[in-house]
Formats: sequence, C-alpha cells, structure tokens
Amino acid sequence: MIQIDNVSFSYDLGKTEVLRNISLDIPEKKVTSFIGPSGCGKSTLLRCLNRMNDLVETSRVTTGEILIMGQNINAKDVDAIELRKHIGMVFQKYNPFPKSIYDNVAYGLRIQGIKNKSILDEAVEKSLRGSALWDEVKDRLKDSALGLSGGQQQRLCIARTIAVQPKIILMDEPCSALDPIATAKVEELITELRTDYTIVIVTHSMQQASRISDHTAFFYLGELIEYDETDSIFQNPSKKRTEDYISGRFG
Amino acid sequence: MSDNPFKSKKSNLRTKEKFAYGGYAFATYFIIICATFIFGTILWNGVPVLMDKGLSFLSHKPQTLSVLELEKGTGYEVPTEHFDNMLISNPNELPLENLEEFQKSFQLVSFQIKNGSLIGDDYLKDIEKDNKQYYVRFTERKFPTLVGFTVHRDKKIRISKPELEIIQKHDPQLITSEITEKIVTLQNKKVTIKAGEYPLSKDAHDSLQKTELIFQMKQSYPDDEPNKINITIIPKDQTITLPSSIFYAAFDEDEKGTLPATKVESIPYEKIFTDFSLTKGNYQTSSETLKILNQYGIKHLHNAEKGAVVINNKDEINITLHQEKYDQLVAHNPQLKLSHIEQSQQQIQYTRFDIAKDVEVQLNFSDLLAFKQDSKFKPTSEKTHSYSGGGVLGPIIGTACLVIICMAIALFTGIAAATYLNEYAKKGGLTKIIRLAMLNLAGVPSIVFGLFGFGLFVMLAPVFSQTPNTGSKLNIPIVFIDSKPDLRIIEAEGIHIVDSKLSTSESEELANAAGAKKFHNGWYYISFQGWGVCMLAGGFTLAIMVLPVIITSCEESLKAVPMSFREAAMALGATKWQSIRTAVLPYAFPGILTASVLGITRVAGETAPIMFTAAVAEKSDLPWQGIHTSGFSAFVDFLQQSVQALPYHIYTVAGRIPQSEYTQPMQYGSVLIFMIIVFMLSAVSIYLRIKIRNKIKW
Repeated sequence: MIQIDNVSFSYDLGKTEVLRNISLDIPEKKVTSFIGPSGCGKSTLLRCLNRMNDLVETSRVTTGEILIMGQNINAKDVDAIELRKHIGMVFQKYNPFPKSIYDNVAYGLRIQGIKNKSILDEAVEKSLRGSALWDEVKDRLKDSALGLSGGQQQRLCIARTIAVQPKIILMDEPCSALDPIATAKVEELITELRTDYTIVIVTHSMQQASRISDHTAFFYLGELIEYDETDSIFQNPSKKRTEDYISGRFG
Repeated sequence: MSDNPFKSKKSNLRTKEKFAYGGYAFATYFIIICATFIFGTILWNGVPVLMDKGLSFLSHKPQTLSVLELEKGTGYEVPTEHFDNMLISNPNELPLENLEEFQKSFQLVSFQIKNGSLIGDDYLKDIEKDNKQYYVRFTERKFPTLVGFTVHRDKKIRISKPELEIIQKHDPQLITSEITEKIVTLQNKKVTIKAGEYPLSKDAHDSLQKTELIFQMKQSYPDDEPNKINITIIPKDQTITLPSSIFYAAFDEDEKGTLPATKVESIPYEKIFTDFSLTKGNYQTSSETLKILNQYGIKHLHNAEKGAVVINNKDEINITLHQEKYDQLVAHNPQLKLSHIEQSQQQIQYTRFDIAKDVEVQLNFSDLLAFKQDSKFKPTSEKTHSYSGGGVLGPIIGTACLVIICMAIALFTGIAAATYLNEYAKKGGLTKIIRLAMLNLAGVPSIVFGLFGFGLFVMLAPVFSQTPNTGSKLNIPIVFIDSKPDLRIIEAEGIHIVDSKLSTSESEELANAAGAKKFHNGWYYISFQGWGVCMLAGGFTLAIMVLPVIITSCEESLKAVPMSFREAAMALGATKWQSIRTAVLPYAFPGILTASVLGITRVAGETAPIMFTAAVAEKSDLPWQGIHTSGFSAFVDFLQQSVQALPYHIYTVAGRIPQSEYTQPMQYGSVLIFMIIVFMLSAVSIYLRIKIRNKIKW
C-alpha cells in the first residue's frame, strides 16, 4: 500500500537530514506503528506520507521516493490537496474546530463542495458510528464540539477524518493527551477501523504498539533500525538497540 | 534577648523603598487627577448644555446664532414653526404675552424652469435661497469665454438679412419676437479719388477699410488717442462705390470728411432688412452674434467672469415662489423660459405675540430670517455668533460617513494584507522589511497623511470622465463611443446649444465657435484630475493612516488562531484559501473586531487628515441631500461631497471663530457628544467581542 524507498528528508534544504535512507513497505488494511525515542523522526516520516511537511517551506525529501498505491506522491503532477483527501490524519492534541459536532464531522465534505443535507446527514451518522461516538452524541449534534471530553474529542477527530472516506489514516500519537480509559476506547476504535482502513500510528507507548499494531517499525536518530511484525519485534528483536529500547534500557 | 537576626542591614534600602513607593503612587494619582479634571470639566460644562438643548442638539445642523435685544412691543407675527424654535433656543422663560395662533394665507406661484445655463441676476440666487426644499441648485461659475449682454428696456433692432442668418444659426434663442422683413432703398455713392497723401480721421479710416479702396497708411497714432489724424496714401486714382454713411464720414462733400471727392454720383439700390425686438433682460450669446449686435447699439456687455448663474439640475425643475418674489423675478429676468405656471394658496400657522418687557432673545439665523418677514419685528440690537446655534447633526453624520467609508476600505485592505503577511508570505527578509515599513508608517504624524491625501486623492487620483478638467495632470483616452456629444454637458459649461439634432461635427463646431474649452468628443478618458475635497478622498486618507494599526492587530489575531486548526483543515483536503476562510478567519474575528473598533475611535477623532481632504466648516446639506442623479452615479455623487466632521467642528468652534459666552456651550456640547459616541462605540465592541468570544473559544 505504502512503499517508502530509501527516503531522506531535511527541514532546511538538505543541510541537516532528519531522516536517512528509510525504506519500508506498509501493508494494506493493517495497523503499522512507528516507535522510537523523541526526535527520532517517526512523526516527520508520518507527515511525509500526506505531505503535511509542505507547510514548512524549506522542507525537502532529498532522496528516494514514497509510493502510495503505486504513485510517487512527490511527483510534479500530484496535487497535495487531492492526496490529503485520500490520506486522513489524526493529531496528537485533539483539535476539533470550535463548531458544533455535526459541523466538525461535515467539514471535510463541505469543503469538497457537498451541500446536500441528506448526504451530509448520512455521512455524519456513518462516521460517528464508525468512530463509536454516535450513541454518546446523537442527541446533541448541534452542541459545540468543545463540550465533549478529551477522549470523545479525539474520537470526533477520527470521525471527521473518516467522513471523507480516506484509504489511509495517519495517527500522530493519538492517545498521548488522553487518560487511560479514553485511551482504551480509542485503541478499541483503531482495532475496529483496521478492517476498512490502512492505519499508520506513531506512538510513544510500546504497550500500545504491541496491543494494536500488526507491524512495528523502530526508529532511532533518523534511521530505521528494525521493521517487522509486531510479535517478532517485541519478543524476538533482531537488533541490539531495539531490544535495549523495548526493554527500557534507554529512551 | 539577642539581636534580631532579621534586622535590615542597610537602612538606606528602606528609604529607597519609601521613595519608590511614593514615586509610583504619585505618578498614578497624577494621571487620575488629570483625567478627573478633564472629564469633570467636560461633564460639568457639557451636561447642562445637553440638558438645555435636549434632542434638538442632535437633530439640528450647526447654525449661526443671533442674539437680539427686543424692546417691549406688541403684535409680532411669525410662523409658528419658527416661534417654537425660538422657545427651544431660549430655555429661560421669555416674557411673552397675548399669545395667539392664526392662519395666514399666501399667494404662491409654481412654475417649471428649463434646465440649462443662463446668466441671471441676484433674483435667481434668491430663488435658490428660498427654495432649498425644492433642491434647486444654482452654481456660480466663471466662464472666461462666455459673453452676454443686458438690455435695459425693450429694444427694436433692425439688421440686414445675412446678419440675421448668423444670429439664427448661433443664437436662435435670442429671436423670440416676430420678424418682419422690410425692403429699404438706399443710396450708394460712386466717387473717384485722386492719388496722393491725405490726413484722415480714425473713424473715416476704419470705415474706408471696409471698402474696396486700396490705400496704405503711412503714419498712425496709438489707439488710446482715437481721433488723431492718420496719413493715408492712395497709390493711384481710384473709383469706388460705397454706402452713403461711409461716404459722408470720409469725404468732404459737406465738410465732414477729409478726402477730396470728385465725380460724385448717387446710385440707388434695394436692401432687405429685418426688424425684431429684444425684450428687457439678460442674454448670453456667442461672440459672432455679439459683434453684429454691437453695431446696433447693444453695448451693455457684462463680463461673464464676474459669475453667471447656472441652473445645474439635470431636468426641468419645479419652483414655488411667493407671488411678489415671482413678479420680481419675471420683471428682472424676462429671458427665463418659465412653463406650467400655476397659482395656489398656502396656509401657514402663525403665532402673534407681545413682549412684556425688554429682553435678550437667541435665535437661529434661519429663524431670524423668518422673523424678519414680519415688518414690525425690529430688534434694538443684533449680534451674530457663528456656529453657536443649532446642534451637531451635520458633523455627526459627516463623521459617521467618513468612518464607514474609511473602515470599509481599511478593513478590506487590512485583513487582506494581514492574511497575506501571516499566511502566505514567505518568512524572510522582504516580509520583515514590509512589516518594519508598516510599523514606521504608524508613527507618521497625521498632518503628513493629510497633506499626502490632499496631493494624491484630492489633486491627482484618476476619474472616469467624458469631459476631463482643464487642470487634469494626464488624460488617457479609454473607449471611443461613436456618438454625438452630450449636449447637456456642453450646456452645463455655459454654452447654450438649442438644436440637439445637430451632428457631432456641427456640435463641436458650435461649441468651438462659442469658445467652449471643454466638450465631449466621443472619448471616455481616465483623467488624473483628483477627486476634489470629498468624503472619498477623506476616507482613503484616513484608511491609509489607520491601516498599520489594523494590519498589525489583525496579524496578531491571526497568529492567535492555533496552528492545529490550519493543520486539521489541510489534512482533510482543504486548499490553503479554504482552510483560511473556514478555519482561521472566523476564529480571528473577535480580534479583528477589536482592531476595527480601535481604528474607528482613532479615525473618528482625527482632524488633521480630513482638514485638507474632506472636511468643511460649513455645509447646509446633509450628504444625501441635493443629489439629483440616480443609480450608480448617485452613489458616486454622494461620495464626492465634502462633509462636516465632529473633530473639525470642535476645532472650528474652539479655535477659528471669535469666542463669546454663546460659543462656549457649543464647544462643550460638541465635545461631550463626541466622547459619548466614542464610549458607546467601545462599549458595543466590547459587548460584541465578549459575545462572540463565548461562542467560539477553544
């Protein structure tokens, strides 16, 4: 689904590379997690996948290419806007707009120009059910999204993302601002979403990675150290550094 | 007990502490005392003014106040409306007696007057004065090339047919009476002149030049000594035929002229003359006509540069006058073509009153005029104090208009610029320079903006026009509309062209012949002639002045919107503009609102930038009054008016007119009203901001 081939990345026009020669294949309809200590480049790699790094003017993919569904996403004829419609993203700090719950979920469809109320209603309900939020909010769709609890807000952000029916969902530490109960709910949701979406998740919690992901990639100082099925990474790491990290000797 | 371990080691620290405390406290109380003094003075003096004048202060335009001393007297009769105004301007009780209301009826005459330009006398201006409510607008213009004449009593004129044809071509409006043709038998003289040198009077010389006689002038004298003798040389013997009048002026048959005539013969011939009469009145005409008429004794030229009265309305206008005024007008301006003359009666409520004892009365100037219509109204003394009567309606409206125009321009540009700087522009040297330049702009003194606005908007800004001003710096033709000239435009410039069926070239020829410098030639121009002193120029000047403030605070409020909103929108596939429009600007709105209110209060209070660009001390109309066009051009006309403005009004009443006890209430009243308006604006904005902020906070 996603093929990352020998990718190096720099935020300052190639002077310093924050990612070096990363190559990995992310399979379809599986959960893949990126783990590693802070500053290892896992979030940067994630943001390369939907070209969110374009927002930083001096950032460049210096070598290699990223193929998503067989297409090099940094090719000249790729429109980042179109790309992002297919690749949703959920952020570290839940960031619903200060609008109603309904408007939040409908946002992505509305900016695509869909105004038909029945289509929007249907999509909103489907997305909220899909993110297991429907029963909690169905009676107060017109209330402000900011009145929800943290976990609910994050699930609302997931609902907002799946409303535009992406193929891939990128999650940048989605549970780091949540309490354990909310985290459990979001994790449960991720497990459910696996059947329909390819999910890439960046996480600091190794337990979380081992609980929810099928594949795990371990990054260290801008390099991919090890990438394998989750079970083998956690139980039988082939690299010394991976072992040190997952057993808590550093990081 | 041992020594206190916490005892201060350095005692002078305590002294310093006390001084510091005292200093800070002094500074604070100083400010508070100053503020209390300022607000106290304004409130102390202003509130009684507002209490006295009440709502009339807000609903009346500034007026000249007349202070009259009335002797104990009886039977004043004035229109009730003006009597009521007197009661408002004199809150202290007047010793009035024997009040009585009654109806008085007037004979009125209504008529229509054709639009166009005409040279009239002061009676025309009287109509303007008396007919504000009919929106009769005359303007006094200077027409350097326009000539006119006055006929003091009805005059019969007899001219030759070719001359009549010239008049009919150029000034058909002159010939209103019946034309009678007459065939007259005249005598021509045939005379032979011998070659030689002859002294000749100037008159004789001038008339001889019109004949076919060939001669040279040897010596002549300056024109200012008219009857000096010229020496004329006839190169060889010549025989000429010439009209009797010239003959007698030049030849010596009965010892009038000086040329020796031989072989004189009389030759009778027939000539067609036309008679018509000119009615008493003022006329304007082309120079050709005038040349002809000059020969027939119409010499009462008035130089049009003194000012002609032009009726500037686009269509025919209806005017109603009192019978006597109408009679005066017609008597003095018979050339006016009035139509639809109707007579009617008007009933006006009058009040009759007596004054019980000598008293001082304050009257607005307009009321004074109405009072003076009563022939018995004779005050013992009369003093006027400009701007001390009436209210501040004009300045309030003017300031409101200026603020609205300015903020429309400033917010549109400011938000756009802030969005560009904060969202689009690359973070680099150029952006930094732009930002620095903008901050510097905020520090430019406002008088400099005023002068800049005067130079740019008042004098230079481009306008679309078919008839650019002669003062225009540059005219760029844009579109050619192949049509004949708009004759109304030619007319408005003082040249009267009657036949609107003329072709383009004929009209141009006519306009040229009459000396029009400016006429529509089928082209539309962008003319860099400036907008003049008007609201639009003032609004733009104020907008430029306030832009740095607006841009800076808009940028701040854009920065305050979390980056995550932009990211969320972008990650959902929004374009940059979509994400700004839906996920940034709405949440920056409260901040932008604050910025705009800061801007409004600053703009409303500025005097210097509008002094040269928009504000006038006196204007009798509110901005929307006296616009005769419709649609878009009405909007343009509206924007192209000068206005009164509150700060400028305060400056005028406080600093530019002679001070007296009567001007003071107006000063304090205006200032208090101004402050109340500014406070109210701030209050509304704070309320709005809190409301919106509660609705959309994150």
